[in-house]
Amino acid sequence: MIERELTVTNQLGLHARASAKLVQLLSGYGCNVTLVAKGREVNAKSIMGVMLLAAGRGTRVLLRVEGQDEQACSDAVAALFERNFDES
Amino acid sequence: MRRQFQGQGASRGIALGRAWVRLPDNLEVGEEHIGTDQVEGELERLHQAIDHVRAEMQALREQLQDVLAPELGQFLDLHALLLDDPELLRGLDEAIRHHLLSADYALHLQRERITARFRAMDDAYFRSRVEDVDQVIGRIHASLHSRQHGRHGRAGEILVAESVAPAELPRLQQQGVTAVVTTAGSPLSHSAILARSLHLPMAVGVPGLLQRITDGEVLTVDGASGEVVVEPDAGDLRRYRLRRRAVVRELRALRRLRREPTRTRDGIEIGLYANAESPDDIAQAHALGAAGIGLYRTEFLFLQRTEVPGEEEQFQAYRDVLLAMNGRPVTIRILDLGADKADRTGLALRDEPNPALGLRGIRLALARPELLRVQLRAMLRASEYGRLRILLPMVCARDEVRRVRAVIDRLGTELREEGHGVAEGIQVGAMIEVPAAALALPTFIGDVDFLSIGTNDLVQYLLAADRDNDALGELYTPLHPAVLRVLRDVIRTGRRHGRPVAICGELAGDPALSPLLLALGLEQFSLHPATLLDVRRALRACDLARLRSRLPGLLRAPDRATIERWMERERPAIDQA
Repeated sequence: MIERELTVTNQLGLHARASAKLVQLLSGYGCNVTLVAKGREVNAKSIMGVMLLAAGRGTRVLLRVEGQDEQACSDAVAALFERNFDES
Repeated sequence: MRRQFQGQGASRGIALGRAWVRLPDNLEVGEEHIGTDQVEGELERLHQAIDHVRAEMQALREQLQDVLAPELGQFLDLHALLLDDPELLRGLDEAIRHHLLSADYALHLQRERITARFRAMDDAYFRSRVEDVDQVIGRIHASLHSRQHGRHGRAGEILVAESVAPAELPRLQQQGVTAVVTTAGSPLSHSAILARSLHLPMAVGVPGLLQRITDGEVLTVDGASGEVVVEPDAGDLRRYRLRRRAVVRELRALRRLRREPTRTRDGIEIGLYANAESPDDIAQAHALGAAGIGLYRTEFLFLQRTEVPGEEEQFQAYRDVLLAMNGRPVTIRILDLGADKADRTGLALRDEPNPALGLRGIRLALARPELLRVQLRAMLRASEYGRLRILLPMVCARDEVRRVRAVIDRLGTELREEGHGVAEGIQVGAMIEVPAAALALPTFIGDVDFLSIGTNDLVQYLLAADRDNDALGELYTPLHPAVLRVLRDVIRTGRRHGRPVAICGELAGDPALSPLLLALGLEQFSLHPATLLDVRRALRACDLARLRSRLPGLLRAPDRATIERWMERERPAIDQA
């Protein structure tokens, strides 16, 4: 299991488009992925779950990944956060 | 008895028809339990319904591929992800398997639970996503139901419902439904955007209508004003007939313009070209009397498939466009893919940090010589079948133009040696959409034969404002002094060097902007066939000499409001007859 702390730094936060990008990215991995923020824990592969986190800009999020491809998966998620979800 | 309701207009047009009243499905679901032996059957029914909705979304995406506005593409992605949401599926599975509930009731409970959680959120933006969640679950529900006692629309009916999902609209229209009225929703909803692009009249936000209308009653709908009249009286019907006649007359007047020249009131000929990407667009362009194709996008040949189309396939596609336009110029643009466009061929780079500033357009073509070579060979071989012009996207320096021209020359020789015919003197033009190209135009105008201004990107790059970013509000606008100045300069430089200049962005297709573009010196417009006749009508009502004399005032305007006042003053009087 890998745990990693990430910060939402993109302008709009984990809104619909960013959530969709995250879920689309995760669909390529077999591991279980959980996001924890503001005392709530959600399945990161669930678009509803991610949107219900309502993680605005500046929110700190704990990423928890468990499974065979956990290293690659957590790196990919961290990179997506760092790239601000490719918002221009 | 006559009843009148006032909602909001969402999609223009009027209709008179029988009401098809569809009550919200959550009102119809009662608590239903099943036996353990029914569990598998119930799950199967649920998954069939979900598959059905998925197929429906896929069909919608294919149907709308050509007209898909970026915001519609995004909502389709979102809805597809919601449909496959593992938490939603797990919750449903559990309710059916462990709590022995019917699929309908399980769905109903999930919907209540999820929407309640969304409604409880603090952030208005996140809260409003409840609409998307609700629509997706609603579609699954409707699909479950239609297997039992659902029904289709019938010709001459007007659908009256609480809300309508975008995915339903094209099919409703095919079934002959002439208008849609919803008690919820807003003119900014995805459904409303789609209704407008389908020309399906729609009124939304009509409170109380569902409680006060019965299936089969007659009603009139005005999709512009949002007025709904149930059981119209003789006066209403007479007014409706008059309105109808006016609408038909206007349509007829527009159609008459198909064979009319595009000439201003003071007799100056303006070139009206069509943007096209599908065979449908080409047929329309021809029927509407377009002077040619000003922008033929080749992306559609590449999108939605997993391998790059070969030379032969591309050749046939280009040849067919040239043949269809029967000797009128056809401007074919080199593949303009970027990381922002979802191609499956893997041509564009994935995960560019900033696709708008990345490897796209001519940059991608030059970085992939084999791709460029195949496309140019196909174009050159097609050149014998009409008047081909080649357009280079995202040009920002002279070197790029020269490099492509050298490839064209080399391939021309190669093809002739192979025994193919290639037309002489094929024109090569540059898209002006990068500010650098606009500013440095005098340094490379000698290397191009014509120019085409792509205003969508140019405005975005000039103002550093992403047009899809809602947070920017009105920051993205072509009505900015910088945009007007750049357009004026490019058009003027083109004229001084005898190079025709066209605008092929959305600006060209908006008849309200026609006088402004004429004032800036534009003589060629390239636009989607959908508004070609509207723009022709506007141009025919303009006085070019007068507009040009008003240019200094336009260029002095310091802000959008002043530019809009100028437009209001110069709005041509359009003869409706």
